[in-house]
Amino acid sequence: MDYLLSEEQEKLKETACQFLEKECPETVIRETREEDQGYSPQLWSKIADLKWLGLVFPEKYEGTDRSLLDLAVLYEEMGRVIFPSPHLSTVVLCGLTILSAGSEEQKAELLPRIAKGDLILALALAEPESSWDGNAWDAQGITVQAAADGDHYVINGTKLFVHDAHVADYVLCAARTKDSGQPEHGITLFLVDTKSPGVECTLLNTTAYDKPGEVVFNQVEVPKENIVGEVNKGWGPLARVLQIGAVMLCAQMVGSSQKALELAVDHAKTRIQFDMPIGINQYIQGHCIDVLWYTETSRWLTYQAAWKLSEELPCDMEVAMAKAWTSEAHEKACWHAHQVLAGVGYTSQKGVMTLYSMKGKTLQHYLGDTSFHLNKVAHEVEKWTAPEKPRGKPLGYWDIPAEEQIPAWEPWQELRKGKKTW
Amino acid sequence: MDFGFTEEQERLRKKVREFFQEELPEDYDWGGGAETAEEGQAFMRELQKKTAKQGYLTSGWPKEYDGMGLGYVEQGIVDEEFGYAGISWPSQLGLHLAAPAVFLFGTEEQKKKFIPPLARGEAVWFEAFTEPEAGSDEANQQTRAVQDGDYFILNGQKTFISGIYKPDFLYTLARTADTVPKHRGISLFLIPADLPGITYRALPSMGGGTQNDIFFDNVKVHKEYLLGELNRGFYHAMATFEFERTGTAFPGRVKRGLEEFIQFCKEEKRNGKPLIEDPEVRKLLAEMAVEAEIWKLMAWKAVWWFGNREELGPMPFDLSGMCNKQLTTAQSEKMSKILGIYGQLRQGSKWAKHEGRVERGWRSTRSLHAAGTLEIYKYVIARRGLGLPRIPAKLNAVIAQALDEKK
Ligand SMILES: Cc1cc2nc3c(=O)[nH]c(=O)nc-3n(C[C@H](O)[C@H](O)[C@H](O)COP(=O)(O)OP(=O)(O)OC[C@H]3O[C@@H](n4cnc5c(N)ncnc54)[C@H](O)[C@@H]3O)c2cc1C
Repeated sequence: MDYLLSEEQEKLKETACQFLEKECPETVIRETREEDQGYSPQLWSKIADLKWLGLVFPEKYEGTDRSLLDLAVLYEEMGRVIFPSPHLSTVVLCGLTILSAGSEEQKAELLPRIAKGDLILALALAEPESSWDGNAWDAQGITVQAAADGDHYVINGTKLFVHDAHVADYVLCAARTKDSGQPEHGITLFLVDTKSPGVECTLLNTTAYDKPGEVVFNQVEVPKENIVGEVNKGWGPLARVLQIGAVMLCAQMVGSSQKALELAVDHAKTRIQFDMPIGINQYIQGHCIDVLWYTETSRWLTYQAAWKLSEELPCDMEVAMAKAWTSEAHEKACWHAHQVLAGVGYTSQKGVMTLYSMKGKTLQHYLGDTSFHLNKVAHEVEKWTAPEKPRGKPLGYWDIPAEEQIPAWEPWQELRKGKKTW
Repeated sequence: MDFGFTEEQERLRKKVREFFQEELPEDYDWGGGAETAEEGQAFMRELQKKTAKQGYLTSGWPKEYDGMGLGYVEQGIVDEEFGYAGISWPSQLGLHLAAPAVFLFGTEEQKKKFIPPLARGEAVWFEAFTEPEAGSDEANQQTRAVQDGDYFILNGQKTFISGIYKPDFLYTLARTADTVPKHRGISLFLIPADLPGITYRALPSMGGGTQNDIFFDNVKVHKEYLLGELNRGFYHAMATFEFERTGTAFPGRVKRGLEEFIQFCKEEKRNGKPLIEDPEVRKLLAEMAVEAEIWKLMAWKAVWWFGNREELGPMPFDLSGMCNKQLTTAQSEKMSKILGIYGQLRQGSKWAKHEGRVERGWRSTRSLHAAGTLEIYKYVIARRGLGLPRIPAKLNAVIAQALDEKK
């Protein structure tokens, strides 16, 4: 047991914090969100230089072979400044899927390019129906079809909430290639060149002004060698990567809540009303403590999940718990911070509070919201077995009438004489 | 970062769990209340002694004081298992509060006198701090201890003092000097509970009575029972509050309660279907599981910092205490919600579900004030943790004066 970051992680955290605070101030966040691309290519190449794009890839693919826990540390810092980048899409959701399921040629070809910042990828998973039904991030939500036709497959259908599709070189599309009884069986992953005829991407307008896309596949032909992993068996590797992605979103929210905490506490100490800092009032203190509470509880659930992922321990429960709680907790943390900041936290031209709480809407829902993950928790909890009963001799507790259940000690016996009960 | 336990630690956990598995009666009412009946009390005192023989009662204490000399994590494991087994020791407060205070501030003689009976699982202690006028404001002690030669003469009243077993010792605060500020004139005493002039009155409470009033009427306490420095008692008490406020036993117990409740939800049917298939029930169970996990994590984090802390005193960022206060309430309310109208039936009613545990649990969680209220925990976190401003002492003095004038 050790609740501290390792020296290496501390160093990563510190460098990331310094870099991001310098390179990603409020102005940059605002500018990038105005632009169509939604991220800054200059910053993208700078973080490639910092090795953040190959952080969790093996060295032979130009990576630095760090752990998922390290990655979570980095994501917390990126969340703290709302760093706009296609990192999650490219490195985590697509990169790690290729790493775990791709052929040797695919890995050798694609991963180094990702690590160098030359390639942007996006994961096309959720669909309109499934997003409405609440199984957007589960196998049964996938209905977009891909049919074999000679040496290629033809994909038809619509994917929604595809982050970074508009700037991606490829989308990794999860499509159904077989209808069997089990939804997990029959899903295949295709790397689709976004310039292929029939691929059309429209940007969706969201609370956070980030730019998930609607991607329509109309008779899109994909060569067979662009299949990642085995035909019909794409769900296995993807499911794990979705868990990793969910935990990284949690880490991002933890960083974001941390910033909300800093903003709220700072304001509580410096804003004067009624001739006193507002932080002297216990209502305001209570709001600050709630931000702290939501931040800290989310942080440790998230780190626990990230640690288990890193160690490759079973963690369906921990991941689901982290995403279920953090999604809700981040919104609450921001709400309490808004209460402390009042007017300055609401006006949208200056000050970052609005940016954090709006971004939260995306992070909250992406890769499964609270009810989605609570369902998973319930599923796990159902497997709990009854605790083992003690084996000692029975004492007959249950046979003792309630009025006899008064301790032997005098003051309590006297109470009984007076026939008082509770 | 590492959330795991070593193999050796897991072995310890298994051994402790196995020990309680064998020792506790199969009808053990782990949800509390087992010890209210006479038979239960006798049993628990015996078990306490047996556990002491194994060393588990004092796992974290140094070996020369009959402990196992284990580390914080190991002690956390043993405590978690006490909690999981549903045990609350007759001498809980002696073990978790008085003993650490004696280790920290006691003289060699005091250690020799007070520690061995605790380590053997024999002595029962009460923590007698609260008074009618000194609840959250612990510094407002009105009980007086006036020095008279080798003795202190105590007069005053304590209230809401937990305890259902006959006590052997009281761990208490009394005013030894009239000072401004108030907290600089208070001292800590370790008092034999049967000294002439001490009387007790039981205070029934809605959760199943475990509190008492204690009256001191010219109680002569020898000065060897003063713990630490004269007039520094408030500081000593504050320094040791972290022992009372943290621990893994509580989340261990909550986990057990949840496991049993989930089993009940699998077995009990409504509309022909097991409760656990009801989507609303599933959601509440999942929420409770998440809360229990948070609680466990925060408790372990506190254990970790405890072992690595640099200064004594309530930990400014300790949210595990807040978990105890906030989440027990949430859990019992959720369970009660699942039982619906049946949630009000007491143990013993023929229609009570889950042996009436939910009802009892709900009642007991209406009071979470022991070891300080939720608000006071927040107060500590706001000031010490977040550095938020406090009402200046000067203003307090103005208010006090105004109140005096009104009288
Ligand atoms: C089940 C139970 C067991 C107990 N066991 C023990 C025991 O073993 N030993 C012992 O010594 N005591 C014990 N107590 C007493 C307990 O410590 C006190 O009840 C507690 O500290 C609160 O004091 P009070 O009841 O006088 O409330 P008050 O201090 O009168 O407080 C009333 C309300 O005002 C709030 N409040 C007070 N000051 C502030 C502030 N500065 N800011 C914000 N809010 C404030 C409190 O949070 C509370 O909500 C026990 C109490 C209970 C209920």
